[in-house]
Amino acid sequence: MGGLGFLVPAFLAGLAALALPVLFHLRHRERDRPHRFPSLMFLRRIPIRTAQRRRITDWLLLLLRAGVVALLVAAFARPFLGRAAAPMSAVPSRTVVLLLDRSLSMGHAAVWAVALDSARRVVASLGVGDRIAVVLFDDEAEVTQPLTGDHGLAAAAIAGARPSTRGTRYVAALRAARRIVAEASVGAAEVVVVTDLQRTGLEGLAGLELPPELNVRAVPVVPARRPDAALAGAEVQRVPDGDRSRLLVTARVTLRDRPGGSRGRLSLMVNGRVATTREVALPADGAVSVAFEGVPLPQGRATATVFLEPDALPGNDSLRFVVPAEEALRVLLVAAAAALPEETLFLERALGIGRAPSFAVERRSAGSLDARALRGAAVVLLFDSPVPGGAALDGWIRDGGGLIVAAGRRLASRSGGSALLPGTVRGAVERINDRGGAFGEVSLDHPVFTPFREGGAAALGAARFLRYARITADSGAEILARFDDGNPALLERAAGAGRVLLLAAPLDAVSGDFPLQPAFLPFLRRLALHAVGYEPSPLWRTTGETAFAPRSLGNPVVATPTGALVRPAGDSGARPVALPDAGFYDVYEGRAAGEPALVLAANPPTAESDLTVADPRELLLGVRRSDSTRVERTGPEAPADREGRQRLWRLLLAAAGLLLVVEAFVANRGWRATASDVVPAPPERSLS
Amino acid sequence: MTAPAGFLDPALLARIGDLSLLARNVVDGFMHGLHRSRRVGLSLDFAEHRSYQPGDDIRRIDWRVYGRTDRYYVKEYEADTNAAVTFALDASASMDFGTGPVTKFDYGRFLVASLAWLSQHQGDRVGLATFSGDLLEVVPPSTRHLRLILHTLGRAKAAGAGRLTPVLERAARLSTRAGIVVVVSDCYEDPAQVQHGVGALRARGHDVILFHVLDPAERDLPGEGAATFEDAESGERLPLRPEVLRERYLVQMNAHRAELSRRLGADGADYVPLTTDQPLDHALYSYLERRVAASRVR
Repeated sequence: MGGLGFLVPAFLAGLAALALPVLFHLRHRERDRPHRFPSLMFLRRIPIRTAQRRRITDWLLLLLRAGVVALLVAAFARPFLGRAAAPMSAVPSRTVVLLLDRSLSMGHAAVWAVALDSARRVVASLGVGDRIAVVLFDDEAEVTQPLTGDHGLAAAAIAGARPSTRGTRYVAALRAARRIVAEASVGAAEVVVVTDLQRTGLEGLAGLELPPELNVRAVPVVPARRPDAALAGAEVQRVPDGDRSRLLVTARVTLRDRPGGSRGRLSLMVNGRVATTREVALPADGAVSVAFEGVPLPQGRATATVFLEPDALPGNDSLRFVVPAEEALRVLLVAAAAALPEETLFLERALGIGRAPSFAVERRSAGSLDARALRGAAVVLLFDSPVPGGAALDGWIRDGGGLIVAAGRRLASRSGGSALLPGTVRGAVERINDRGGAFGEVSLDHPVFTPFREGGAAALGAARFLRYARITADSGAEILARFDDGNPALLERAAGAGRVLLLAAPLDAVSGDFPLQPAFLPFLRRLALHAVGYEPSPLWRTTGETAFAPRSLGNPVVATPTGALVRPAGDSGARPVALPDAGFYDVYEGRAAGEPALVLAANPPTAESDLTVADPRELLLGVRRSDSTRVERTGPEAPADREGRQRLWRLLLAAAGLLLVVEAFVANRGWRATASDVVPAPPERSLS
Repeated sequence: MTAPAGFLDPALLARIGDLSLLARNVVDGFMHGLHRSRRVGLSLDFAEHRSYQPGDDIRRIDWRVYGRTDRYYVKEYEADTNAAVTFALDASASMDFGTGPVTKFDYGRFLVASLAWLSQHQGDRVGLATFSGDLLEVVPPSTRHLRLILHTLGRAKAAGAGRLTPVLERAARLSTRAGIVVVVSDCYEDPAQVQHGVGALRARGHDVILFHVLDPAERDLPGEGAATFEDAESGERLPLRPEVLRERYLVQMNAHRAELSRRLGADGADYVPLTTDQPLDHALYSYLERRVAASRVR
């Protein structure tokens, strides 16, 4: 078993109370009721040394009382047994955990070789019997060599290290070191961190708990100058150009410690071919934006890379991204049979504006909404038209389709509803007399109103509605907006994987002026995107992130930038795709052949190109030194086990009670008890 | 043959509040168990003739024998003394101690009452003197003072520091006639001083019986562990451990009793050690033996 610890060690101060039984024992006789005796004539004649009277004469009683106090104090201190520990004989004289930074910034030509030399010196400084563990870390920690006394293994682990394309997180490395030391159950250990002390890697250190016996020492490998040019980002646009489209890219380059007046060459590569190159003047420090001329884009998805001429830190000299294919979301517009074309004019025009994605509006009649028509549709918009019956629409919605019902005067006159709708239309509200109503309470946190969060709410409030449907929300419906009279203006309800939105605000220019307001276009576009659940995929992701293969891929296979094939494992939902390295990840369905179903781009985190150096003391800034880390670092423990190790206090209390009983018996075995037991002697029968 | 122990057990006697009843029970029970032959006659019984010796009272010459033999013979009788028996009871605070059913003082009162009853019924005059540092109460010897003695014993309390020697010296001067003095005490005094006091009584012709009454705890010094002992008379306190001092204490106590026996025996006094757990018959026997010896006058 491990050592003995205490949950409340402050109670151990109560051990000072051990002096009480001694004092009580020594003073007890003087305070005790004296035994009356006829005469001390003979006792006085017997010499008794004072020291003999003062000294502790009843050791048994004293030990019993001291034992009771000690047991009570120990019980209140809540002792617990430590978990299994290695025998003392196995503890080496020195234990070192070497943390070698292999983040992207360490790949600088002036840094990595120095870092390897520093790590090798750490190994060389070990003596016979010393143990060392090697941990390579970036934003994650990898124990490449567990604690070993074979220093050659540690040297081999260092030799096999390579800089990665990931960021820096010191907290991950220190946690790994803490875990290694805890699992080895060694006492003091030294943690040596070979790093370039990148300040951006300090995030998350505050609050980290390290045991006090863990001595952390940083070995900085920072050259005086680290010239570097890095691609920090890019703005990417696909613009139409006749029947085709063009790619406009503006790259942002950050520069540091470079020689002044130098020039640099940036290239844009599309689908593996260099499409354009620009040579620009680069300042010594700072940032510069470089716009490439438009590049014709082929139909469909394209992969692109902006890259600089390689410098001392090549890992951040390129930026990869995926230009998604031009896509149009099909919107099936079903208008009331009596609706005039001008009633839906603004609606159709508004949906036709905008790209990425664009909307393709198809007018349909209510009776034509069968399964075939619904296949491939993103949104069904019922303009003042009742919800058609049949299971096709319902099933389509539950499979992820989006339904928008814009209630107008015709629906208001019908005063009815559908089980699909989040509310029931109960007539119309006339606001002509008060010059029209307006939007009142609006949930700006909702995705529909995203464009209006930053001061755009005023644009919404400018719309006036002379007549609108009165809707009563059903249970389970979410009211996203209300008119200024309190009536619901927009309601939502989830139905399976899809959504149903019921809009009371009129979308025509007869019942109000909303289509004429600037807020109309963004509102309608966001409304349609939300109905279909559209989420734009990012152009690139950061290394270390995890993307998810779409649900449509039943058996995805991922070809990584290193050429490896990985089959993501996961539950029946989305499959996680790890992105450990910078580059393109091709995701295939079934097997890695043909056109990939999905392409993901991963780039090093932008912060990793910030080479600002921190003070070595900042490495432990905010780190807490606590013994409690000993407990949690060995992993979760079953409550029964923990209780088992902490239930010693019960035994101690029971032992204290037993000792009290014995003490009471021993303390009363004195003069009075014996004297009362005097048995009269039988009468002497000297005469008979 | 001995008396039934039930009549003489101090534990049982302690339940009898009336000293008169107690004494009568003790004596009757005691006498019931004796052989009749052991009852020594106390009347004027002729013993023998002997030749006249110069100095003999001529009134005691048997003239009838002279008429027949022309020789002077003197008649000798078993004496009928009607002796005065004075009981001296130690009433100091040290006597008020007992670890059993009776204290030493109670035991002494039982003893004195019983002996007084016995003496009264044998025709003696009985008196009482209680003392601690000095004489407390004195009942002169008389054939009619038995009830007074019992009453005095009944209300006597043990208190104060005791001084045996000067008290005995004063008691010796109370009566001009020689008699029997029965002293009941725990004798916490130097044996030489006790001998001095007893010697004063003997000098006036008294026969002396000293009953040395002790509690079993005084005899054995029981107890374990540290304790503080307090002197019953002086209040002095002494912290000690009985088990450590017991052996040396017993040596001192036994030496004290042996010295008392030796010194009093040398002066012709009787020394009878008693403990309160002993039946009273031992004391009664001792008293009667001494009484018989004292009554035989040659």
